[in-house]
Amino acid sequence: MTPNRRRSLANRCNALKSTGPRSASGKRASSQNSRKHGLNSAPDFESSFEYKALVDLIAEEGFSAFACADIAAGLLNYRRVMDAYYDTYTSPEPVNEFMRDMNIKASTPIFRELLSPSGSEPQDVREMAAFFASMQRQERRKGGPVSRRSADTHKLIRYQRNGIARISRAVRQG
Amino acid sequence: MVYNIHFGIYVDVDMPVEDKSKSLLPFLSSPKLLPDESETEFQSGLQSLLSELDNPSPLAVALVSQLNETLWWIKRHTVDKELLLHEAMARLLSKAGTHWDTHDNRKVSEALERYLDGRADKGEAEWIDEVLAESKLTLSDLRVRAFKDAARHIKMVDDLIHRQHQTMRHLQRSIDSIDYKSRLLKRMDLELAALESKQSVKEALILDAKPS
Repeated sequence: MTPNRRRSLANRCNALKSTGPRSASGKRASSQNSRKHGLNSAPDFESSFEYKALVDLIAEEGFSAFACADIAAGLLNYRRVMDAYYDTYTSPEPVNEFMRDMNIKASTPIFRELLSPSGSEPQDVREMAAFFASMQRQERRKGGPVSRRSADTHKLIRYQRNGIARISRAVRQG
Repeated sequence: MVYNIHFGIYVDVDMPVEDKSKSLLPFLSSPKLLPDESETEFQSGLQSLLSELDNPSPLAVALVSQLNETLWWIKRHTVDKELLLHEAMARLLSKAGTHWDTHDNRKVSEALERYLDGRADKGEAEWIDEVLAESKLTLSDLRVRAFKDAARHIKMVDDLIHRQHQTMRHLQRSIDSIDYKSRLLKRMDLELAALESKQSVKEALILDAKPS
């Protein structure tokens, strides 16, 4: 095993001992870790210039004020969804090549060496190997970049469906 | 009054309808393209769809630009289906080969991509043939196996394509309903004008008939 791979493995083992962020800013930053696209947050379209301009333009087509507001908000919401769709598509979760290609069996002596200062038992080494093996399985199941971006984009289908249904309903009822 | 729609795009409410529709385009359909995609192709698709509009009102233009984007997504996802197969083929090859080179998944993937496109150089083509022979597989066998392996992800892409088709149907129905609405409004205007003219004729007749 090359020194670089050895160092990476040691870093990963040490990272497992971490108990998370301690400072307020660290906690604030990590609170956004699971934020993916922000499409579940309620948007405030009414105060935007785009909304006002759209409402004025649509009003000229003979729609009622209520319908104009509904259509404009629907269009802006759909744009927001499609922008998130594009962002998700273009920035999938990167492939962790280290984890995917790692040889777990060959790494066992390093686990032993890394864990020995704490007087660990062979059981600890086995647990560490099992942990890395499960991470590797997860990583391999996700597939390559195209599989990942398809899976990530697939999660946004329901937002697109709701967004387009909203526009369609507003236009036909208007 | 002038509204700033999007990064320096201005819409003047006193503009003619067609100009307003054009100024809305960058906001509602700013092409977010991938590095290898052609903006000219995207814009020409949009222009051809716009040219088919009977009544290019701002809302119709907005909906048509979304329709064009949906068509673009269908194209992208169709390419992805093929790429998924290539990805799975490369994974199978790197698993099957015994040569140390085949353990580098990315290298196999890139080489296979060039091989399938017919862009691989002699060395690369020989290497792929060698790995295929070593694993006792033909290219079509490999493709079949890859399809089986990547079925879950291919199904996802099929779902995405299906969703875009549904979206197109919604947009077409909306555009039709605007068209119908505008025709109805025009007809009502004409009928109203006819009624008004009739009314004014009647009033004129009544005035004439009144004894002075």
